[in-house]
Amino acid sequence: MKKNNLLYPYKNLLHLCCILLLVLPAFLFGSCVREESYEDNAMGNFEQLWTILDQQYCFFDLKRDEYGLDWEEVHSRYRNKIVEGMPESSLFDVLGEMLAELKDGHVNLINSGNVSHYWKWYEDYPDNFNEPIQRAYLGTDYRIAGGLKYKMFPDNIGYIYYGDFSSGIGASNIDDALQYLAVCDGLIFDVRNNGGGYVTNSSKLAARFTNERVLTGYIQHKTGTGHSDFSDFVPIYLDPSNRIRWQKKVVVLTNRRSFSATNDFVNSMRLLPLVTIMGDKTGGGSGMPFSSELLNGWSVRFSSSPMVGANKDALEFGIDPDVHVAMKNTDILRGIDTIIEEARLFLKNDEKK
Amino acid sequence: MKKKWLLFFLVSCSLSLAAQQLDSLQKHRFVTSSLLFGVGLSNNYDTYISPLEYTGTEIRVMHERMRLTKWGHNRISLQSLVQVHLSYCSNPADNNHLLGGLLNWNYGLHYHLPLTASLKLLVGALADSNLGFSYNARNSNNPASLRAYLNLDLSTMAIYHFKLWNHPYVLRYQLNVPVAGLLFSPEYQESYYELFQLDSKGNNLRFTSLHNQPSLRQLLSLDIPIGLSQLRVAYVCDIQQSKVNNLRTHAYSHAFMIGFVRSIYRIKQRKPLAMPAY
Repeated sequence: MKKNNLLYPYKNLLHLCCILLLVLPAFLFGSCVREESYEDNAMGNFEQLWTILDQQYCFFDLKRDEYGLDWEEVHSRYRNKIVEGMPESSLFDVLGEMLAELKDGHVNLINSGNVSHYWKWYEDYPDNFNEPIQRAYLGTDYRIAGGLKYKMFPDNIGYIYYGDFSSGIGASNIDDALQYLAVCDGLIFDVRNNGGGYVTNSSKLAARFTNERVLTGYIQHKTGTGHSDFSDFVPIYLDPSNRIRWQKKVVVLTNRRSFSATNDFVNSMRLLPLVTIMGDKTGGGSGMPFSSELLNGWSVRFSSSPMVGANKDALEFGIDPDVHVAMKNTDILRGIDTIIEEARLFLKNDEKK
Repeated sequence: MKKKWLLFFLVSCSLSLAAQQLDSLQKHRFVTSSLLFGVGLSNNYDTYISPLEYTGTEIRVMHERMRLTKWGHNRISLQSLVQVHLSYCSNPADNNHLLGGLLNWNYGLHYHLPLTASLKLLVGALADSNLGFSYNARNSNNPASLRAYLNLDLSTMAIYHFKLWNHPYVLRYQLNVPVAGLLFSPEYQESYYELFQLDSKGNNLRFTSLHNQPSLRQLLSLDIPIGLSQLRVAYVCDIQQSKVNNLRTHAYSHAFMIGFVRSIYRIKQRKPLAMPAY
């Protein structure tokens, strides 16, 4: 029986294998993959936050070139502001100030009672949007398709307002809106004060305005903890929708609060032949945000994957319009939206040509 | 006296016949299967989602099927071990939660090495396939992490049969260690949008071994006879770790399980057997 068994001659070797395997756990326990340790106090949470950004934030090089951001210098400056035993609210304020050094609307520190934010990308500029006036333009008889509000102006110009790229829009919603406005001479697509949302909604909408595949930009992601550790550029294409597509002139209205996914939408639309961007420069926000957290339970959001334009131009600081138009105070006093009026004029004149 | 001899002859014949019937049973047709349910402690860590370890509880179901094969003169057994576990864990501040789950299937062979009449060692190799997820509702573009990996495991087992109060017990320890495999992982900060919606060509399928996936699964079980059934109580220590693409993960589980063992004899029958009519 034993002689017939092929493996029997190797029984000692097999015994040795068994014993080695049985003692292997002792070696494996020596190579545990554990979290990096920080003290759950003011200094520990400060160090952890600084390190998360240092290893994962994606615009250090761009912002060093743009306005001289030095993250190491930021560390030493803010470390001096951390005092053991400082109240949580004071720690939150100091950490929020440190994050504001990044000048990025996608960077927030969040706890149960507050959200730190940097909004100077629109706070320091004219609004170029007046909600009561815009509401008056919509009137009370406007139609709603998902997140889209739309109507036909008396001069036969279609108007769509999309105020939030997080608002759901189905393919049928877009079909219905475009079909209703199909008889119009041109279309105003207003994304002012749209602070962003899902980038998938951006491409879903833009796909209704092109008849061919267009390279709209590139995205990268960080591959390591170094400030310059990036992947190759991954191209982003806009493919035409196989449903209803708009074939007439379009004016996209923008202001400084057109941010993040809206910035991405404007970036796609500006490349299309029938589209004109009008209004103010967009707010930017071209880094796709990731989230992380601190030991004390505070959450942090930051830009992690930079998106650039088709010419690999930075979009982080916003996109200039084709036609720069600002709201006039005299118009505001008369309840007139200067930018909408300019867009109507532009489309009417174009029709005459 | 003649009657006694006749009785002795009949008993001997019947015993001999019974022995012949046992001999005719083929060992490879005996299948032992078990179904266990358990709860345990879980510790999850995935730097793609959070730099913090999440701790909590898990529920686990395990199904095992084991039988001897014809190969190696009935010294090689086939094992199929399926485990599913779901965990719900909290961060150290207890203000955020992580939901995790994994389906694991081990399938392979062991060679039996009897050391004594009651103790034997088994050594073998298993295909170890895993599919699971971690989900953190608070995150923006990194709310979830997909776990998909396939390993070749070295496996060893010690099985000890003993009797207490004239009842047979079986104590078993099994250790599986992945030595080579393939693991799916996004790159350091690669979003799933980039992975699945764009034509990203990152290094998402990585070779793993002890240096970047020092993991193991241990199972300690005791089979206790209860009437005609066998109760199995078990402790599972599941240590899964990885260090690829500058991402670090671990999923530690310590689960206590209980269930029943069933032994069946498979009959090879070309034509289906009809159920007896009553």
